[in-house]
Amino acid sequence: MAENGEEKLLAVARHIAKTLGQNDTMADDILQIFSNFDGRFSREKLSEKMVDEDPRGCAALERTLNSLDRQISQYVAIDHPIWADSADSSAFLDAIDELIATIRDWSPMASEKSVGACLVRADDLMQQAMFRFEDEFRSLMEQGAESFDLSRSNHESAGNLSFDSDDENEDNEGLLQNGADLDHQIPVAQPLTDYDIVIDALPSGTINALHEIAKRMVAAGFLKECSHVYSTCRREFLEESISRLGLQKLSIDEVQKMPWQELEDEIERWIKAANLALRILFPSERRLCDRVFFGFSSAADLSFMEVCRGCTIHLLNFADAISIGSRSPERLFKVLDVFETLRDLMPEFDSVFADQYCLVLRNEAITIWKRLGEAIRGIFMELENLIRRDPAKAAVPGGGLHPITRYVMNYLRAACRSRQTLEQVFDESNVGVPPNKLDDRGSSSSSMSVQMAWIMELLESNLEMKSKIYRDSALCSVFMMNNGRYIVQKVKDSELGSLLGDDWIRKHSTKVRQYSTNYQRISWNKILGTLKLDNNSLASNGAAKSMKEKIKSFNSQFEEVCKIQSTWVVFDEQLREEMKIAVTRLLLPAYRNFIGRFQCIPEIGRNADRLIRYSADDVEAKINELFEGSSGGRKSR
Amino acid sequence: MPATDYQGSSAPLTNLGRSLLSLRRDQVHAMESHHDGSSAASLEVELESFQRQVADRFHDLSSVPSDELLSLPWVRKLLDVFLVCQEEFRVILSNNRAQVNRPPMDRLVADFYERSVKALDVCNAIRDGIEQIRQWEKLLEIVLCALGDTSNVNNNSNTNINNGNCYQRTLGEGQFRRAKKALIDLAIGMLDEKDSGQALAHRNRSFGRNNNSGSHSRDHHHRSLGHFRSLSWSVSRSWSAARQLQAIGNNLTAPRGNEVVASNGLAMPVFTMGCVLLFVMWALVAAIPCQDRGLQVHFYIPRQFSWAAPILSLHEKILEESKKRDRKNACGLLREIYQMEKCSRLLGELADSVQFPLNEEKEAEVRQRVKELGHVCEAMKEGLEPLEKQVREVFHRIVRSRTEGLDSLGRHNAE
Repeated sequence: MAENGEEKLLAVARHIAKTLGQNDTMADDILQIFSNFDGRFSREKLSEKMVDEDPRGCAALERTLNSLDRQISQYVAIDHPIWADSADSSAFLDAIDELIATIRDWSPMASEKSVGACLVRADDLMQQAMFRFEDEFRSLMEQGAESFDLSRSNHESAGNLSFDSDDENEDNEGLLQNGADLDHQIPVAQPLTDYDIVIDALPSGTINALHEIAKRMVAAGFLKECSHVYSTCRREFLEESISRLGLQKLSIDEVQKMPWQELEDEIERWIKAANLALRILFPSERRLCDRVFFGFSSAADLSFMEVCRGCTIHLLNFADAISIGSRSPERLFKVLDVFETLRDLMPEFDSVFADQYCLVLRNEAITIWKRLGEAIRGIFMELENLIRRDPAKAAVPGGGLHPITRYVMNYLRAACRSRQTLEQVFDESNVGVPPNKLDDRGSSSSSMSVQMAWIMELLESNLEMKSKIYRDSALCSVFMMNNGRYIVQKVKDSELGSLLGDDWIRKHSTKVRQYSTNYQRISWNKILGTLKLDNNSLASNGAAKSMKEKIKSFNSQFEEVCKIQSTWVVFDEQLREEMKIAVTRLLLPAYRNFIGRFQCIPEIGRNADRLIRYSADDVEAKINELFEGSSGGRKSR
Repeated sequence: MPATDYQGSSAPLTNLGRSLLSLRRDQVHAMESHHDGSSAASLEVELESFQRQVADRFHDLSSVPSDELLSLPWVRKLLDVFLVCQEEFRVILSNNRAQVNRPPMDRLVADFYERSVKALDVCNAIRDGIEQIRQWEKLLEIVLCALGDTSNVNNNSNTNINNGNCYQRTLGEGQFRRAKKALIDLAIGMLDEKDSGQALAHRNRSFGRNNNSGSHSRDHHHRSLGHFRSLSWSVSRSWSAARQLQAIGNNLTAPRGNEVVASNGLAMPVFTMGCVLLFVMWALVAAIPCQDRGLQVHFYIPRQFSWAAPILSLHEKILEESKKRDRKNACGLLREIYQMEKCSRLLGELADSVQFPLNEEKEAEVRQRVKELGHVCEAMKEGLEPLEKQVREVFHRIVRSRTEGLDSLGRHNAE
């Protein structure tokens, strides 16, 4: 071996002299310098071989190759996996290391014919070895992944993911009891509550073996093959993991045509898959990749991108399709879920896709996330239009609560549960709100409160339009009052209250009172008028007559009003009581006063009881029957 | 400017587009005399200029030498044309919002948006296809790595033992085996899905012998190759580019006279853009591999449109290309794919025929083929990434312009 080393050294020196020397004299000078430098480079030894075209160095190279050939051919021919036996695998690796070193050392002299011929042989040997390496690499990857079937045991409950499987556990126990081969220990995770874990996708013994192979393949210039096998296997694994989570591959067209209920389920699955992918699978792949290609960061980055690209695009395409989909308001909540999922995953996108190759994927994610924000604003725009255009078809019986009020208020309340997200979305752009609306409210209010106030305004004007359908203007007021009351109540006890502000609530409570006052005025002023007493004609004969007319008129009007208004609705119990009390307070004193006076008129005398159809108590009871709904007594106590 | 010579030829007033426009002009003056005459005239100018620009651009595309048609640079130019047309179209719509939001334009524009959404799936499929080509390019790089001069091999890793040597390595059996393996993988990769099973079996037969590691690894290889083929598609198995193209072209007909009149002529650019969209998507599907390619889409374009001639001529040329014997079963008509296929096939045949040690003549031939392959590889490396970006840009632009349209319609309804 020592002799071999010296021969190699001499050969290198000769080669340097030959290459650097532009003519024989120069080459000779260089050799002289070498011989002065070190005794091993004596002029005899060097010059002798300058002439000799078959240097003894090459013979040594041949001997080395013969020996390597024997070893390597033996391994290449083995018909079972070499890495099944650690002695075999390390001997094989050693042989390859020597082959690599030999080629590296002799390559500078390849221009010499005999060395060149040897190197061709070495390359040939290397190629055979590398094919075998590739196969070994692949089967290690596949076996490792099989033993690691991520979701075999529980793909039905993806959210409750654990990574154990029974047979593996048994194997493990056996190994652990022996206290040996901890490398093959499979990490067992508890059912998943948060995603803050990274799994070792392959047993660490396998990872080490893969790294050893990768190192040699890179050194031998077979990086591309290695990376290709690696990416293909891992990509397959990832795709299988994702499809086990039930996520289909869907085109945008298919997403658009899918019934919403099905799509909702798909979104649920997507959210789980996206979280799992970005929080566990991708970081785990990243770690695996960095370990297998340790020391070759560029190869690691490229392979990682190849592994994750398809899955990432699959995931992003779905979110993209959702963002392009229908703007129907019912979709808001699920679209918000998708938006929030992507938003919350942005740090993961940033960290896991930080390298140059993956940057595209990260930027795609940002674009689609922003686009989902646009979709949400589009949904609100659609909501506005639906409110605005909702036609006044049939009047709600009894001036009660209109379905649109109920729908919009409950919708907004539900939406406000995602207040933070919506604020973020509306701050991005003020699209959909006319600029003058923004100016109205000063700079202190957020885009979201402006948006909400705007929708409330649209709702109110739509309700006003709808109220016109009632021919009775009192009923019109009751309708507005009912709906206004509902709106204020729903605002008060939710996030909407703080968004719209106390001023808004005060203003609208006042409006409700005004509608109630309007109702009283319209319904009861005329009746109150019939009870008015003429002071100046008190004693005259005509007075009795007029009083008689008045009571008759009151009777019929009161009866009529009660008959009609008992079918009217005031949905809010408190408001209903308040209104009855208000009517009672308005009417009863005047009525008492009237019938008191009426009974005192002598001309009427005993006829009084006949003419007075309602006692004061009767009137009160009648008023109590107001606003009980269409069938009159349905809701009465 | 190539535009000038054919403009004259399309000038006759039998031109449908032109006659419809002038018909409209009369109507506009008759019906909307209260409108500002100058704005009506400027709309006219805008619309006519759009028609002319579209015609110019497609004429430009169609007047390339036949060996540039369907090349990577040509496809990129095609997408540039699409982007510019789309932008001009967008501007026209946004300049004439009031009109656009009224019938019949609201319906025509909604139809166009629906069409354009369908094009998004094509964009996604094409992106997958580009990725597929990139995978083939990787196999080519292995071939170059095996048979190329070391100076040609651009290996990132500086631990490569052969790095730093500028000598011409002698080509040995080992390098050929390595290259052949990559070439066969490439050939299988480039086959249409339906033929791949058979070829895979063949491949495994020929490599089963070389590879002594027993049957288990062959099975594995089979499996992974199968996946290698299907992995890149991000759409479902049942998705079909041919059907998608048909959906884009569905009911795409020239506007009727009354529609042109009622829309102040704006129905014309909508139809124009619909045709541009359909043609561009069709050409992409023709050029780039994707799932269930099929070019049986009919273009019903009245010849009177000034851009009809160049588009129909391109359509014809591309169809002819697809019918050529050696392209019939191609997975994409992209010129670089063709060259890649040809070069790699020739090199494969050469590799099968060589005897070792290689004589000088053979070696020179191999080096020549490898050099050609290197050029193809280089062209792919330079062109694919920008193409992918462009396809993505087309996607984003379509979405953006549709969103803008929907928003405007939404706001219009608010008024």
